[in-house]
Amino acid sequence: MIENILQGLMYPFLFLSMYFQVLLLTSFFENKRKIKREEKHEIQNYPTVAVAVPCWNEEKTLGSTLDSLLALDYPKDKLSIIVVDDGSKDRTFAIAEVYAHNYPNQIKVFAKENGGKHTAVNLALENSTSDLFGCLDADSFVNKNSLKVIVSYFEADKNTMAVTPCIHIRNPHTLIQRLQAIEYLMGVFLRKAFGQLDAIQVTPGPFSIFKKEVFDKLGGYRKAHNTEDFEITLRMHKAHLKIVNSHKALVYTVGPATARGFFFQRLRWARGFLENSLDYKELFFKKEYGNFGMVTLPLAFLFMFYGLYAAIFSVYTLFSQLSTYISRWLTVGFHFRMPVFDIFYFNTTMMSFVVMVMLSMFLLVLYIGNTLSDDKQQFYRNFPIFFILYPIFVPLFLGRAIFDTFTKRKNVWVLQDTKHSL
Amino acid sequence: MFDIKKYIFTFVITAAIFATAFFTSTFFSNKRVETVKSIQDNIAIDILSSETQFSLLGEVPCSNVNDSSLSPELSTLGDKLSKTENERGSTDTDVVYLKKYYSLLQIKDYILSKKLVEKCGVAKKPVFIIYFYSNKGDCADCQKEGFVLTRLKEIYPDLRVYSFDYNLELAAIDSMKAIYRIKSSLPALVIEDKTYIGFKSIEDLETLLPDTLKVATSTTATATSTKRTK
Repeated sequence: MIENILQGLMYPFLFLSMYFQVLLLTSFFENKRKIKREEKHEIQNYPTVAVAVPCWNEEKTLGSTLDSLLALDYPKDKLSIIVVDDGSKDRTFAIAEVYAHNYPNQIKVFAKENGGKHTAVNLALENSTSDLFGCLDADSFVNKNSLKVIVSYFEADKNTMAVTPCIHIRNPHTLIQRLQAIEYLMGVFLRKAFGQLDAIQVTPGPFSIFKKEVFDKLGGYRKAHNTEDFEITLRMHKAHLKIVNSHKALVYTVGPATARGFFFQRLRWARGFLENSLDYKELFFKKEYGNFGMVTLPLAFLFMFYGLYAAIFSVYTLFSQLSTYISRWLTVGFHFRMPVFDIFYFNTTMMSFVVMVMLSMFLLVLYIGNTLSDDKQQFYRNFPIFFILYPIFVPLFLGRAIFDTFTKRKNVWVLQDTKHSL
Repeated sequence: MFDIKKYIFTFVITAAIFATAFFTSTFFSNKRVETVKSIQDNIAIDILSSETQFSLLGEVPCSNVNDSSLSPELSTLGDKLSKTENERGSTDTDVVYLKKYYSLLQIKDYILSKKLVEKCGVAKKPVFIIYFYSNKGDCADCQKEGFVLTRLKEIYPDLRVYSFDYNLELAAIDSMKAIYRIKSSLPALVIEDKTYIGFKSIEDLETLLPDTLKVATSTTATATSTKRTK
């Protein structure tokens, strides 16, 4: 009986999830030619660009991050790098100083008391007069042509106010990083598809580039529940400022290597999404905010709850099947039986067909993501890891984020997420 | 820009996928019911044939009666019916009908086998276990008992297990319950006309089963192993 109710509640979720997938896929295919055209645009005039590198104890990766920025195929006199040391206790500042000494015309270094990422980026903003402004986390690395590709979008459409890149996980080694490799590959497609709907959900920390006038008009970054990149996106949508995605602008970021690091990062993101969405609830179901306000933001918000439900349902189903096997094992012991192939025993429930279609769509999404990106990945090798591990993490971080949000618990755990402890 | 047509179009596609999934699932589910019905019909013919042979016993010698014709498919039918019940639910009218039919076939098989033994005294006297269970959630040990009986049938292939849903509304089952004095406490097992209430492990049941079954099984095993070594 309970199982029937739980299963019955899954159907609306599956319908909405499939609806969302179909919406994104149709939007993508509808604009395929336009996407191809985007790739061919050549820059006529190079605007000045400032890239902020906020860092806190990043001695291990800062050098490589700066090297990747210095290697960008972009006129040197048009590109400035602003390193802001947010009260590091290691050699971060010393390394930044060496680079500033070696590249005095391009790199500026500032040091301040630790105040959080948004304060570091805002300090860089105050010290920038460039046409375009962006940020690159000190554990992220850009491809040589990424900036050129991004800038072409601003030139192609004067209304474009921000451009998001195509992000991949850098050298995924651990199981958790390989899981994220799939997640980010999915993100390649999602960002592009959302872009076609004028509904990009977030301008991520690694190398999203904005017109400077965005900040002149809307002000700088805010703490925003430790997800300043999501908050600025909401603010931009509220001000009807256009955000697009550049799928050829490759950026690599170091994903958390451990389950603990991954959990706390996702917890911060999930809670940040919930809290900021509630702060901007006036965007929900308002036609003036287009697809973002009418559909994608409300659905994404709903999926936080339904995602938790679906994950719990999956885990419940898995455990109830597992408990049957355990009960049999405890009752009669383990006895291997040769599996008998009989089509009669195939699972032919409606849910199994729907899940099969959704899984096929998911694989198509990964395939498109891989086709769009210039960095072709062997995603089928990481897919089983994602398929097995991701459902275990989802109920944990979503459940905790929902609980913390509605009980207004303090974000003490944010300190556990080393990627945010700027 | 919010384009309502795009959303209607998306809705139509999604609804079409769901409808296809629904109809495909219904198609296979109905096919499954048809398969079970067809097996049951075959078994019914087998039993009817055996009954006819049995009626002729007065005129023909026992050697002409073939006891192997007694419904060998009953066991696999039980598994298939169980799968169908899991997928369609125990209250589904087709499932209830199939279960009633299956129960009647089991009773007929049981009666016929017993009569055959009494009249002809077949070489390998079959051993029967009648098992009453409930899947209404009021029998905590029924699932475990099911595991035990399945395993027991694997160990003793000559064992015949007849399973009956205690809650199935069928006069023949009610009569069986009355004959063996089965009350609502389940699981209940009938071995050699004696009723046992409550969970019985493999070890418990092995002590209750007649030695002829074990001897028959060990002889079969020896014969098989001898064959393998050749």
